[in-house]
Amino acid sequence: MSLRVLNAGIQTTVQAGRRSGFRRFGVPWSGPADGWSHALANRLVGAAPDAAALEIAYGGASFEFGAPLAFALTGAPAEATLAGRPIAFHETQQAEKGDVLAIGPSTGGARVYLAFSGALRTDEAFGSVSTYMPAHLGGYGGRTLAEGDQLNIAGRNASPEMRLTPHDLRPMIGGAWALRATASLETDLLTPDACADFFDGAWAVGRAADRMGLRLEGPDLALRSDGRMASAPVHPGVVQCPADGAPILLSADAQTTGGYPRIAAVIRADRHVLGQMRPGDGLRFLKTAPDEAIAVLKAKAALLDAWAPDGSALL
Amino acid sequence: MSRIARLSDDAFSMETSSPTAAQSAAEALRGETGVIDAVPGMESIVVIFDALSVPPETIRARLEAVATTAETPPERSPLTIPVRYGGDDGPDLAAIAEALGFSEDEVVRRHQESDHRVDMMGFTPGFAYVGGLHPSLAVGRRETPRVRLAAGSIGIAGGQTGIYALDGPGGWKIIGRTEASLFDPQADEPFAATPGRRIRFVKAS
Repeated sequence: MSLRVLNAGIQTTVQAGRRSGFRRFGVPWSGPADGWSHALANRLVGAAPDAAALEIAYGGASFEFGAPLAFALTGAPAEATLAGRPIAFHETQQAEKGDVLAIGPSTGGARVYLAFSGALRTDEAFGSVSTYMPAHLGGYGGRTLAEGDQLNIAGRNASPEMRLTPHDLRPMIGGAWALRATASLETDLLTPDACADFFDGAWAVGRAADRMGLRLEGPDLALRSDGRMASAPVHPGVVQCPADGAPILLSADAQTTGGYPRIAAVIRADRHVLGQMRPGDGLRFLKTAPDEAIAVLKAKAALLDAWAPDGSALL
Repeated sequence: MSRIARLSDDAFSMETSSPTAAQSAAEALRGETGVIDAVPGMESIVVIFDALSVPPETIRARLEAVATTAETPPERSPLTIPVRYGGDDGPDLAAIAEALGFSEDEVVRRHQESDHRVDMMGFTPGFAYVGGLHPSLAVGRRETPRVRLAAGSIGIAGGQTGIYALDGPGGWKIIGRTEASLFDPQADEPFAATPGRRIRFVKAS
């Protein structure tokens, strides 16, 4: 069957499991910016957590179903209708042939996830079908979806089990965030005052916020060096601090190496939150020891996996 | 400062003596149980591990052990890259020549005569950090990076030559451009400029 894109919104991409193992060639991971919501969407349609689904930035997209198909919405809340009737996020929905799914603009958060009970036909590159737009890898021709695109979906499930995401797994998506973060390799290059400002200060997400990274606005951080260093590996969650003192929080499409001091790293357990942060949101960092970070990760993974087996692979 | 340090809760970094040592350590560690990615840098190697399946102590111990077993990567035949130097293809060449007190031709001659070898790949797919630039051509990065460079752009900065495999932003000073394709995801060998490979830059005819 096919799903026709009526309105692709600002940026809609196919995402799935991450493209790991190729960072040494400069190939980023990609995959859902909010892996938690992606795993929940797939669970509702009975798919594997890392199955291909659509990541819709800021909502505001619509699609027409070419055949009956079950689907589910999670992530950044928005009003949504199916054939003109309001539908809820976090529950399995059944579309009939010709139905139009219209997703309004997100009222908070940054990314809606739309999963289907059938398999999206996608391009694979370096072991993953996740879209990485700069190199045109994976997804739908390696690009964002556009009006008129026809997505092929195979092996439809005509009558899937109807499910609801348990309430304790539904993320709180508001406009103020707290992220746990560890120190990193060049944290010592911050002056003591700047270090205190970073971990205790109030930050805001800047206008430059995308799948590669989020520029942060807040206290000017002073570095005890000229900020020049040999190119060194970075990954999603790492916070870089260029000489201008405005940190960059790296996200799913993060470059593999960089030349700016690495002053902190958001813990793995909290990185899914980056996918829901939008410009203007408030943000604080909570300094966390690595051992504690791993304990938090194990607890969150157990919670997710109990509902969506292997969902923690997307954390 | 310890040779091994924590980059994040799920990554360790270890200092290495050279880019080559980082490459061989990454080669030795990739695919090992619990290793998600082993990524070489210019002076370090980073191992990103799955903290849900392997304890951090195991990864740290493995990194300590790999330092002594590093081997040189296999040699590949030299890669010849035809370059159109200067003009619209190399918008920073004239300013570099003026700053260094050379003619443009002299900058090009010295660039071609340098003993180039790929130090590492990174940043975005196919980007090559090429070492061995003639010391007289040491220049810094542009103060303001360009928003968009064309694929094939060749820049110099910090004693290295950088080859941009994709269209995108970039802060290196651009001396020329090549038509040679450095990244083809469909090819058996998608990356042309792999670490350790010698590079010969020649004038495009």
